[in-house]
Amino acid sequence: MLLKGARSFDPAPFDEISYDLCRRRKDVVIMSADLSKYCQVVRVKNELPSQHLDVGMAEQNLLSVAAGVAKSGLIPVATCFACYITRRAYDQMMVCMGTGSGPGTNREAGPTNIAIGFTPGIANPARIHHQAAEDLGMVRAIPNATVIDPMDSTDFRAALDAAVDRPGLTYIRGHRGDTPRLLDSSEFSFEIGKTYLLRKGKGIGIIATGLGSQWALEASKLLSEQGVDHSLLHVPTIKPVNEDEIVDFAFAHNQIVTVENHQIVTGLGSLVAEIISDIGGGPRVKRFGLPNRWAPGGTMPYIRAQLGLDAKTLANNITERVR
Amino acid sequence: MRNDHRVLDLEILAARIRRNVLEICRQRGGYAAQGVALSDISACLYFDELRPDNEGWYHDRFVLSNGHDAIMTYAALAESGHYTMEELRTYNADGTKVDQSPLEGQLGFEITAGSLGQGPSQAAGLAWGFRQQGMDQRVYCLFSDGELQEGNVWEGIMFAAHQKLDNLCFIVDNNDMQASGHAGDVMGVEPVDEKFTAFGFRARRISGTDMAELLDTFEEARNTKGKPFVMICDTRLWDGIDCLKKALPMAHYTAQSAIDWNKGIKEIETTLTRLEAKRDG
Repeated sequence: MLLKGARSFDPAPFDEISYDLCRRRKDVVIMSADLSKYCQVVRVKNELPSQHLDVGMAEQNLLSVAAGVAKSGLIPVATCFACYITRRAYDQMMVCMGTGSGPGTNREAGPTNIAIGFTPGIANPARIHHQAAEDLGMVRAIPNATVIDPMDSTDFRAALDAAVDRPGLTYIRGHRGDTPRLLDSSEFSFEIGKTYLLRKGKGIGIIATGLGSQWALEASKLLSEQGVDHSLLHVPTIKPVNEDEIVDFAFAHNQIVTVENHQIVTGLGSLVAEIISDIGGGPRVKRFGLPNRWAPGGTMPYIRAQLGLDAKTLANNITERVR
Repeated sequence: MRNDHRVLDLEILAARIRRNVLEICRQRGGYAAQGVALSDISACLYFDELRPDNEGWYHDRFVLSNGHDAIMTYAALAESGHYTMEELRTYNADGTKVDQSPLEGQLGFEITAGSLGQGPSQAAGLAWGFRQQGMDQRVYCLFSDGELQEGNVWEGIMFAAHQKLDNLCFIVDNNDMQASGHAGDVMGVEPVDEKFTAFGFRARRISGTDMAELLDTFEEARNTKGKPFVMICDTRLWDGIDCLKKALPMAHYTAQSAIDWNKGIKEIETTLTRLEAKRDG
């Protein structure tokens, strides 16, 4: 499922993804709140202006206008930094975008509302205010919402393609800047809720999502070199996740560790722990990710090292767990 | 030229809507004072301004931003036959489908509007989407002066003006009353019309209870090109039923035991009889 050979990178994945989508789907509108350039929405803005809508530096407006656009029959894809699109406009995301579709609402299948949060977690160098370390947990708490944290540009593209045909609210964490192509699109076929086995082994089972899956792959390489057997499961969909696949994976291993670019509370680690503890008698779950304290700012390698999320420390810590 | 019969017919409908508001809210209480005050706007919207479609509903869209004013829609849609009074008497009951503040997708309600201040942006997004697709639907959105204290409202106003959405008409229920008291005492929002004008709207300030004036203002809204329109309606709670205005002038929410419902219904029936006699005579 993973590409072999030297890594290749997409320098601006969403610029291509959004442009290709808008060329195929004339009912899609890419929306911005003064951050088009910083979310890499350039071609759509310049070449397909009728499919681009900027609401100014106003994130609550971004999501409430988007919800109105959705009700007109178009498909809004609201883009912003993850911190603002969730924290600043959470009520609009929940009430305006999230209450029109699915169980407990008035419609089985209502309008499609998509929000993409860029530079999530420590993918932003500016500490605290620009770092969304809790977005997955926030959106996961919204009933009927779909939440996806893709690991590379292939995953990201496929997640958005799935979202445009899905009723209700979908939140996707976006990648920007040099983004690796890791998944082999000839073998990888994205389905909402599905989990993907990237390495099959015994003993330690690593479950990861988003950028955390990239970090876990790096650690996995070191573990393999050290002769430490393990498996690696990529879980792009945080909600609704295929719980049976998580359970089968977890109970096939002695020790589970989770890796995410998100606080270890409310995100993937919490999700996995909740699923396993509901059954009982399962393996211990050790969560790696951002702590529930303010993360430092700076470059990604610096922040990762500070938080023990660099490949070497992560691999060492994972090994520690089985001793 | 205004047709007197048209005005009179709508005044009769407004009186019937007022009576429906009281009949619905007397069961378990509700937002009766606002519903009564908005009955003229409601009659004008649902029986004159919104164009019908071919499926028994409306071609144009009405977006209610302050969800608790849903009573104005229910009471009007009882007259149009979209709801029965039997259904509507379950308003505010446990397990009812007639929510005091309904969710998106219920008949008559485009958005989930209980979290105040989110209607104008959604209405503007809807109007932008219609225009973008070459559709001719007009969008109307009612919100309250209290909501003007929410930042999201002004973001939506700015967007609507920037996009020159002349298929959009805002209706401000400028009743000077919010949960804690007079808007002017809690957090003043005046001068409302000048603020809208400064933001790029065409604004007109009216009573909101004079039918001929309402018809004229809706016509002006329709004829306004190149910018969105707002009508600021200086309504007061219980407008149209003097005895209730006198009895409970400060009601945000009217408890079932707070007023003499029969007295209010009697007054509105007297009004109705007078209007019908005028029509028939």
